[in-house]
Amino acid sequence: MKFNIEDLPILFPYPRIYPEQYAYMCDLKRTLDAGGHCVLEMPSGTGKTVSLLSLIVAYQQYYPEHRKLIYCSRTMSEIEKALAELKALMKYRADQLGYEEDFRGLGLTSRKNLCLHPSVKREKSGSIVDARCRSLTAGFVKEKKERGEDVDLCIYHDNLDLLEPHNLVPPGVFTLDGLLKYGEKHKQCPYFSARRMMPFCNVIIYSYHYLLDPKIAERVSKELSKDCIVVFDEAHNIDNVCIESLSIDLTEDSLRKATRGANNLERKITEMRSSDAEKLQNEYAKLVEGLRDADEAREEDTFMANPALPDDLLQEAVPGNIRRAEHFVAFLKRFVEYLKTRMKVLHVISETPPSFLQHLKDLTFIEKKPLRFCAERLTSLVRTLELTNIEDYQPLQEVATFATLAATYDKGFLLILEPYESDTATVPNPILHFTCLDAAIAIKPVFDRFSSVIITSGTISPLEMYPKMLGFTTVVQESYSMTLARRSFLPMIVTRGSDQSAISSGFQIRNDPGVVRNYGSLLLEFSKITPDGIVVFFPSYLYMELIISTWQGMGTLDEIWKYKLILVETPDAQETSLALETYRTACCNGRGAILLCVARGKVSEGIDFDHHYGRTVLCMGVPFQYTESRILKARLEFLRETYRIRENDFLSFDAMRHAAQCLGRVLRGKDDYGIMVLADRRFQKKRSQLPKWINQALLESDTSLSTDMAVASAKKFLRTMAQPFSERDQAGVSTWDIKDLERHKEQKEEEKIRELRNGIDGGQMDVDEHTNGANGADEYGADDDIDAAMMDMDA
Amino acid sequence: MSKPPARNGAPQRRPGEEDDICPVCKSSRYLNPNMRFLVNPECYHKMCESCVDRIFSQGPAPCPVAGCARTLRKQRFRRQTFEDLQIEREVDIRRRVAAIFNRRESEFQTLRDYNNYLEEVETLTFNLLYNIDVATTEEKLASYARQNAADIANNKIISAQESASTEAQIAAQKEQARLHREAARNEEDEERREKEEGRQEFINKIAASNEDPDKIAKVVLKKSTARRTAADKLRQQEAAKVDNASAPLFQIQGLKPVVRPEPQKAYDPFGDYSIKTQYYTLQTQYEHPWLENAKTDPKITAGGFDVGEYCARAMMEAFGGLGVFVEDEVARREEAAGADVGTTAAAMAAGDGKEVGGDVL
Ligand code: SF4
Ligand SMILES: [Zn+2]
Ligand SMILES: [Zn+2]
Repeated sequence: MKFNIEDLPILFPYPRIYPEQYAYMCDLKRTLDAGGHCVLEMPSGTGKTVSLLSLIVAYQQYYPEHRKLIYCSRTMSEIEKALAELKALMKYRADQLGYEEDFRGLGLTSRKNLCLHPSVKREKSGSIVDARCRSLTAGFVKEKKERGEDVDLCIYHDNLDLLEPHNLVPPGVFTLDGLLKYGEKHKQCPYFSARRMMPFCNVIIYSYHYLLDPKIAERVSKELSKDCIVVFDEAHNIDNVCIESLSIDLTEDSLRKATRGANNLERKITEMRSSDAEKLQNEYAKLVEGLRDADEAREEDTFMANPALPDDLLQEAVPGNIRRAEHFVAFLKRFVEYLKTRMKVLHVISETPPSFLQHLKDLTFIEKKPLRFCAERLTSLVRTLELTNIEDYQPLQEVATFATLAATYDKGFLLILEPYESDTATVPNPILHFTCLDAAIAIKPVFDRFSSVIITSGTISPLEMYPKMLGFTTVVQESYSMTLARRSFLPMIVTRGSDQSAISSGFQIRNDPGVVRNYGSLLLEFSKITPDGIVVFFPSYLYMELIISTWQGMGTLDEIWKYKLILVETPDAQETSLALETYRTACCNGRGAILLCVARGKVSEGIDFDHHYGRTVLCMGVPFQYTESRILKARLEFLRETYRIRENDFLSFDAMRHAAQCLGRVLRGKDDYGIMVLADRRFQKKRSQLPKWINQALLESDTSLSTDMAVASAKKFLRTMAQPFSERDQAGVSTWDIKDLERHKEQKEEEKIRELRNGIDGGQMDVDEHTNGANGADEYGADDDIDAAMMDMDA
Repeated sequence: MSKPPARNGAPQRRPGEEDDICPVCKSSRYLNPNMRFLVNPECYHKMCESCVDRIFSQGPAPCPVAGCARTLRKQRFRRQTFEDLQIEREVDIRRRVAAIFNRRESEFQTLRDYNNYLEEVETLTFNLLYNIDVATTEEKLASYARQNAADIANNKIISAQESASTEAQIAAQKEQARLHREAARNEEDEERREKEEGRQEFINKIAASNEDPDKIAKVVLKKSTARRTAADKLRQQEAAKVDNASAPLFQIQGLKPVVRPEPQKAYDPFGDYSIKTQYYTLQTQYEHPWLENAKTDPKITAGGFDVGEYCARAMMEAFGGLGVFVEDEVARREEAAGADVGTTAAAMAAGDGKEVGGDVL
């Protein structure tokens, strides 16, 4: 399908388009034209990725700037899906245009997924793959080989050097799988092919971390130019990703390993002093001059890069007292030793970086400045010493990163020392959390560097929260509703059990046997009427276990067992994937199954339950975070102080985004249908925090149901869903072909013309209309408020 | 760093207490759970408290650890801060060095100089640490301390001030956070109470009148909104107050050291020009018979005549013109005239004038 948005011709690879897709594209174009950031919420299962790609590719090809697209997603499978989508789009474009455009699209993921080396790729852990690969590809290893020493190299990597550096793979789109195949055929490393081709790609698809984690971003995303278009898809959790990428936890064990690492370094330095002192001297000379290696950034085997350092610091020379390798190692040792003494304290400590630094200085005479250079100095040293078994130095690196971060940021970080694992533990097992409280720190370089950043997801309500938390301004901020030819999903809020007593997972009544029984009967009733799969989400593992064991005692499980198979998610990934497998089988063969999982677990984030895999989703309780955690408390306080977001607002926002995420799992397209049940009294008040498309489908009459009412309503819904429904019924309403689209555009035009005309010959009337409108809105708003007030009173 | 390291299985004992046996009396923590170890910065040999009491109570005694035999005093025994005694010792040495070498970055012309200085100091410290050239190093330390005593004292004061101000700042921040927290709590309470009140009012009104409950709700709501905005304003004001109160404290960080202006000299009408006699020195007393007279004769002194002045003048006149060589000046003048023909006449005239002046002298 081919159409224009303003002057931009767009090729859309499907014969039909959803109205919301069209609106989404228009807004995207608006953002790109304006050159700003935006937040867009698009209902899940309405083809967000394809609309995004087809608009941006059209934009790239049409305008002379050829702005690059960096598309970030969360998981491997999402990356692969997007790549496949892109590939199909490019094929369609070639068919339509009659020629192949000069276009490159590549995806990047970790070495573990892209390695071809026969022994390296068999390693289980990603960091070991990385480390082993480094030892096979590092520059000095190659030098040694040239000198005739007997060292192993990776042939796949070497072959790359034989190719033209800007044409390692032919133009076109490669999925990860395709790249692996191509690499196997031509005996070249897919990982390094993709990485080296990055500057030549029109579209890059990779994971968040390549942009957000400063240690990786520095290396991978450095050469991307300013006018790139950056997209964060599935970005409802982006603030947590940002925070995690800058937070460090240290344990006694890791400190011990760090000491060992420092001792190893010391030994290596002595060795090198006696065998090859020149190298150390060279490094020293370079540091004295304050020179950064011009080529070091481009080096692929860099041990690690600096965590988000301000530029002025990067220009400065390394302080004199850590210039010499020996001095630096002694410095590190002293620092680690200091941390060890801090760990011995037997009460909880939380302090800000400045006060930590002060204490550090008083005790060990370590100044702030050399600390800031710690990470960089360590990198340089590791490179000079030509170490290959880098994973041994991981803990030391962590300590160095910690040092650098603590000395760089006064605000937005907190040190929390927890000597005991839990409140009841008697044997101390301390952890030092260095936690980032401010999501804006990690993402700031991204917003600073790129002119258009697009943050989008299926559930990213309330929209204004994200700009606030991440510290940016938007030009467009939009949430789309879902156009449906029939009501294909049924959201409901169940507030009471069949005995009319309130149900809630609030901690005052969560253990109340009545509540647990009501939850049980709710599940039982739905398992009776729902075809195929049911997914149930609990706020936490703890609560889930409690409920399951109680149900076991009450015999509820035996009842349910008659209708559905019961499967449970566990923190263990392997077990969970087995459970999922079984669940799928049971759904396919008609036995039907229930999957009990946790709202913040793996299942809620990455796994889709489309069609018969999920006909009902039950949210048992509001998935609040565990508020007793000190880290969360610190973050809440920070949010209140810095961004004026109140604790309760944030907690409720966070709970609702997870709830919405859970609900969105079952509806993966317009031809899909499902029931969404929010089973907690407290959902009633939080209704407005649901994404617009869910909230719109939630009827006023369905916001406070008891179990039996909900069941009746669900029955009715399922009966309508059972009626035959042909594609033709959807046409023109929830899907447009080209004619519908033209009609819509004409209408829009007309409206605009009418508005303009009104504006010209009826200025007076216009004003009138406006005031009327305003009044109307006011009244409407007030009504809403009353609703809220009434609801409060009910509560 | 995104993945938290898993807690290793809880260690049985706290590290650092693994060797819980006193090396001197061999008693162990098992026998004496309250055992504490002390070290003496003289030799850093570790021993338990009771050993220290036993051996050193009677005054200084040699260290009981075999092969050490340094004389220790009880007074100087203390608990160790660091698990690693090597570090403990290092920190002690650093304390000493840092007290002497406390130059600040701002005192150096370039960053490079400062860095070189830092390295130098670090090398000295290392020498002390690893017992390389201890004697010469100590010598250097001492001589530096002697020569730069004033600077050292000065910098010490500055850094003390600095640390005091950072501490004050930290304290202020804490206080501010506490205030904020309190304010937030109050706000919440307020809101809850308001809601409660509003509800009460609503119920009362419904009970009292037969109006449409919706309308009443609207009125109540309006009221509470008004109250809320008022409260908001108040809160903002308060927040502003808090911010102002705690903002600057003493922020001297970024300032360059102030150069104090030199005290102004007394006014000098000759602009630094003074007549220095080259060929003679003026005496206060000159022996001359008729001068004696002038000194005492009231006829002369009453007019304000001063013998000293007279002598000075006479001497100047006597020596005036010495060292003035007319030929040289003429030659110089002619040179100048040759260079600039147009003004020859004027130069001549000027020269004449001068010559005349010379004659007069
Ligand atoms: S260069 Fe490529 S193929 Fe070779 S070990 Fe590294 S990742 Fe594997
Ligand atoms: Zn003893
Ligand atoms: Zn001794």
